[in-house]
Amino acid sequence: MRIIHPRPNPIVAAMYTLRDLNVDVIVVHGPAGCCFMASRMLEEAGVRVVTSGLKEDDLIFGGMKPLVETLQMVYEKFKPKVVAVIGTCSSMIIGEDMDAAIRQAALGCTVFSVNCHGCTGDNTTGAILAIESANKAGLLSDEERERQTFLMNAATSMEKRVGMAGREYLSPTRGPTKLAAAKRILDVLRSGGKVCCVMLAKKELAFRFADMFLALSQARDRLGGDLLLLGNLDTGLGLPRIRGYAEAITSELKENGVEFEAVGGLDEYALLGSRMKERAETYGPDLLVIIGIPHAYPELSAGQLLVTDQPRQLANYLSMGLDAVGEIASHSMVMGAKSIVPLETGDTIRELLG
Amino acid sequence: MLFSVVRRIAIYGKGGIGKSTTSSNITAALCERGLRVMQVGCDPKSDSTRLLLNGRRAPTVLDSIRDGGSPSLDDIVSTGFGGSLCVECGGPKPGTGCAGRGIIAAFETLERLGAVDRYRPDVMIYDVLGDVVCGGFAMPIRNGYANDIFVVTSGEMMSLYAAGNIVSAVRSFSGSGYARFGGLILNSRNVKDEGRKVQEAAEELDTEVISVIPRSDTVQECESKSMTVVEGAPDSEQAALYRELASVLLSRSKDVAGGLKGF
Ligand SMILES: Nc1ncnc2c1ncn2[C@@H]1O[C@H](COP(=O)(O)OP(=O)(O)OP(=O)(O)O)[C@@H](O)[C@H]1O
Ligand code: SF4
Ligand SMILES: [Mg+2]
Repeated sequence: MRIIHPRPNPIVAAMYTLRDLNVDVIVVHGPAGCCFMASRMLEEAGVRVVTSGLKEDDLIFGGMKPLVETLQMVYEKFKPKVVAVIGTCSSMIIGEDMDAAIRQAALGCTVFSVNCHGCTGDNTTGAILAIESANKAGLLSDEERERQTFLMNAATSMEKRVGMAGREYLSPTRGPTKLAAAKRILDVLRSGGKVCCVMLAKKELAFRFADMFLALSQARDRLGGDLLLLGNLDTGLGLPRIRGYAEAITSELKENGVEFEAVGGLDEYALLGSRMKERAETYGPDLLVIIGIPHAYPELSAGQLLVTDQPRQLANYLSMGLDAVGEIASHSMVMGAKSIVPLETGDTIRELLG
Repeated sequence: MLFSVVRRIAIYGKGGIGKSTTSSNITAALCERGLRVMQVGCDPKSDSTRLLLNGRRAPTVLDSIRDGGSPSLDDIVSTGFGGSLCVECGGPKPGTGCAGRGIIAAFETLERLGAVDRYRPDVMIYDVLGDVVCGGFAMPIRNGYANDIFVVTSGEMMSLYAAGNIVSAVRSFSGSGYARFGGLILNSRNVKDEGRKVQEAAEELDTEVISVIPRSDTVQECESKSMTVVEGAPDSEQAALYRELASVLLSRSKDVAGGLKGF
């Protein structure tokens, strides 16, 4: 299917993967402004992102010179340990030899190229190319490369099967306020019922969704009832930066006395639905709250409460008659986060608790 | 803006088949008749107008705009034999950049500078590299730059094959603002049964062989003096044939009003 709604392209997906690999500087070999929204977010997360600023001249005569100069400038300015050069539509259509430029720049640090562009296919193709290139550059074991590739393909097929990637254009929506959702949760706890919250968070978004764990355990402490929290927060899985996220969140939750079960890693959200479901069903909750990427959970149904950060996904859920709220703009809030960021639903719960 | 009425002719054909030699001789023959002709070389090799300029190399349009340069027309239009106006688009070194994008940028530059308004040529001749490899090299066919496309071919198979590709590219563009296909020019290579082979190919392509240029040593003799045959051996039979070809092109092409782009 041809994707027409605004979604990240393979270049952006590759850049996020480079961040997860703790690359210090990403050089986008393309026009100034290429992928600038994503670049700004990544800069918030501490990665330096620059472009080689290709101009019409460079498209005609080749962009070797600006790329070499950008690489040398980057080395002087940022003193990086690892630099990645990433291709774009413009540079790849004219067949730029990024590795030749890297050799010519001869920086005293690790530099590697990712041969992707905007039209390579699903956005995960970019992420996979980044993983393969990093593996060749010695930044990643063969084993982790295989694991990442597998996870990325799983995420793509899940998005196509049940997510937005398989849908026609849908307008984004902000959806209902969080009040009804918060009341519903509190009512169950107050009457002594069981609430299970399943977090299937995509990487850094866990910094925001984890706030639900904080708010729910506070509510249970105040109102009674019973709570089971399941999160994909395994600290032993994933690329270095991703493990770091899981570690930071886990220790903050522990400090706050929140008990949860870790099921799988932050990069495994697409695969964990069935495991989460099995665990939740043995618990037998009166209310199931699914947060993060709810459609990764098998067979969503009307009684459940879903919390997503994606406005189009929210429209998708609501159009299917599901009960859902949106935590819009979460992504920009968690870029560069080092601790849990309040969730609107969490704040609403706390407000109702008084 | 002033609008001239111009014949807009593009010459395509397989690499090395004789496009530049033929184009330059046509230009020279038309100039002899007192017409004002601008020949635009669309090839990064930028050797299209070499024979008109007696071996001088015209500065290229793309070199002139490189690194933010803002050339004037005098910097990029050189005057050659018989007052011919010689332009070379230029382009990147082989193996780098994008020559097709270069052609587009060169045309935009000529247009921005008002080349046609200033020189008011009677005939524009575009000498275009090899096959129609990408959108950039199809530029003369599109947007009304050229109106009539001719292909130089020999009886060799690869040359006829390229001719077929060019014809189908031109036809796939057909519509208002696009060029039409005018016919085949047989530049002989002395292949066995050459005339018949090219004739058959023409029929298959639903077109005609509009001229037959024999292979002749005079061409090379003049080339070694950096001249067209029209200039270097004006009384030769070969020169007469190029003059005849020039007349045929004139009679088969259409006057189209406009600036660099016709309506
Ligand atoms: N009719 C002819 N008789 C003898 N030699 C010829 C004839 N036509 C062309 N040639 C020779 O063939 C060679 C190639 O010609 P020319 O440079 O015009 O080809 P071209 O199609 O423009 O090539 P390119 O695709 O490389 O630009 C030249 O050396 C030229 O002198
Ligand atoms: S088209 Fe491709 S190269 Fe151009 S700005 Fe968009 S992503 Fe970048
Ligand atoms: Mg030539």
